Amino acid sequence: LFILCKEITGMKILIIEDEQGLKESIEEYFSESGNVCESVSNYQDAMGRVNLYRYDCIILDITLPGGSGLEILKNLKQRNYNDGVLIISAKNSLDDRLEGLDLGADDYLVKPFHLSELRARVSAIIRRKTFNGNNLLQFNELSIDLQAKTAKVNNNPVKLTRKEYALLLYFIANKGKVVSKNAIAEHLWGDGIDMANNFDFIYSHIKNLRKKMLEAGSQDYIQASYGMGYKFTDQ
Amino acid sequence: MKLLDRYNRVTLVTTIVVMLITGLVYYEAIRLILINDVNKDLEVEENEVVEYAKQNNRLPQVFESNDQQITFYEAAPGSVHRHFVDTVYKLTPDESHRRHHHHGVRYEEGRGLITSASAGNRYYMVLIVKSTVEAEDLVKIIFIITIAVILLLLLTLFITNRLALNRLWQPFHNLLGELRIFSIADNKNIPELSTTIDEFKELNLAVISMSSRVKNDYKDLKTFTENASHELLTPIAVINSKLDSLLQTDGFSQQQSKLLNDLYSAVSRLTRLNQSLLLLVKIENRLVEDNREINLKTAIEELLIQFEEIFHDKGLTVDFELEDKMVNASPYLIDILLNNLLSNAIRHNHKAGKISIRLDGEKLVVQNTGEAAPLQPDMIFKRFHKASGSEGSGLGLTISKQICENLGFKLEYSFESGHHTFTVNF
Repeated sequence: LFILCKEITGMKILIIEDEQGLKESIEEYFSESGNVCESVSNYQDAMGRVNLYRYDCIILDITLPGGSGLEILKNLKQRNYNDGVLIISAKNSLDDRLEGLDLGADDYLVKPFHLSELRARVSAIIRRKTFNGNNLLQFNELSIDLQAKTAKVNNNPVKLTRKEYALLLYFIANKGKVVSKNAIAEHLWGDGIDMANNFDFIYSHIKNLRKKMLEAGSQDYIQASYGMGYKFTDQ
Repeated sequence: MKLLDRYNRVTLVTTIVVMLITGLVYYEAIRLILINDVNKDLEVEENEVVEYAKQNNRLPQVFESNDQQITFYEAAPGSVHRHFVDTVYKLTPDESHRRHHHHGVRYEEGRGLITSASAGNRYYMVLIVKSTVEAEDLVKIIFIITIAVILLLLLTLFITNRLALNRLWQPFHNLLGELRIFSIADNKNIPELSTTIDEFKELNLAVISMSSRVKNDYKDLKTFTENASHELLTPIAVINSKLDSLLQTDGFSQQQSKLLNDLYSAVSRLTRLNQSLLLLVKIENRLVEDNREINLKTAIEELLIQFEEIFHDKGLTVDFELEDKMVNASPYLIDILLNNLLSNAIRHNHKAGKISIRLDGEKLVVQNTGEAAPLQPDMIFKRFHKASGSEGSGLGLTISKQICENLGFKLEYSFESGHHTFTVNF
């Protein structure tokens, strides 16, 4: 018996980031109907906020004016608050990463990152937290079993490769947004892949995914967007 | 040539020359003294003969005496010029027998005095000859002993020099060893030598202060690189996020989207460059220390799966032969190393080219087709050296080489019949 899960909307997110430009972009990217997005830019405000309110996910910068983001994380864990925490840091130091994860952060993202990547990571954290092992993600006629890593369209199984599956998940997390080819390449092949100006292989990948879904009876959700990227949308 | 050899050679030549000269002078001096002695003996004899002849008006009777022979010849008055001569001494049979156990006539070196004596009304030339053979023998013995002593001295000096100098120079060799393994990047300093020799102490101190100065400068430089790269991260992050936000707005013209694409590419390159710089500093400082046992075979297989679509897209044929190979290293760095080597093999390949990967217990070989000309092996590992038209950061191989060095591996490039080969020797 499948437990049907709603798609992820209505996220409550706190952004703790002192860089104004970055904070605004993140806020804008996450604010849409149904989402609550708050932001603070220093240690004291952040402490006050996390001790008062609960969030689905906290996007946490480590270097903050007034203190370290790691202290905020420690405080959360001490108080047994179960908010998801995603650390974003310019410190691409392995120690920092390990310390953050040791302290109970759910994920770690190094600056600079694509907003779509951030969004995908936050969605993954919230999915893990909210659905407590009920691993079914629903989007219109699409249903995705996160445990088995399989997808179905109206109960018709779609046979996807590992990368196609990851791509679909990435699109759903960023539905309604234009995702750049750069972001897709880095998400699927890691940032070690340095194939600048050569994203043909992404095109063929997306073509395959789209074809498989259409053949299984899905609507056409994937749109090319000005040659810069792709948009997954039902509108 | 070693200093010791050079030094020995100089000493040897000087000693031999000086020794030869001294020997000759010595020999001459002793000979002169002895000849002088013989001359005096001869004069004494002359005196006796002349006195005897004067008093007795006849020549003395000559006895065969030890090593001395006197002969008289009648001569015209006043015709004899008195002088000493080097001559031979004819041994009497008796002497010959005594000295040489030999019968018959034998000659020895001798010294003679030709002088004159008058007896009665007759004028005589007197030849007094003394054997100088004993004197000569004496000279020879003294000479030989002297030479022997000098040779012995020389030999002793030579051996002591060799032993003592080797030991004396030990601090120098130690210091040289330290300098040889000196690395600007590690934290090991040149140790203070235990020596009492002032010159070596000074050298040691100079080297220590130089190395620490160099290390400090290098550290400052690295800190600067690190800080600069670090400070760049935030603005790059802002640009990146703003681009992502811009992408969400509608209604781009074709020209605008082209511009935006170019911006994305540039920012992406900037990001990678920056990350590479930071990574390089970190590896050089050996700050990545999450070492554990890794099977390279598994790591490569995972990477091959990861790159599958790209191989396919470029029409590349990949063949590989992998054996299990465990290394104790940071998985993060191994991932970067393998990723770099494989990315290069893809990026610098041509359509429908070939990549071959071999892994065994001793080495990892990544080989690819590509440009027909070999790369410059001494240039490619340098920072920011890249092939024309390459979109890479120019740091990939520098990073790879540094990772290999940290792990005690050796990364080498070779080119053979159209195949570029990178080999990691474990």
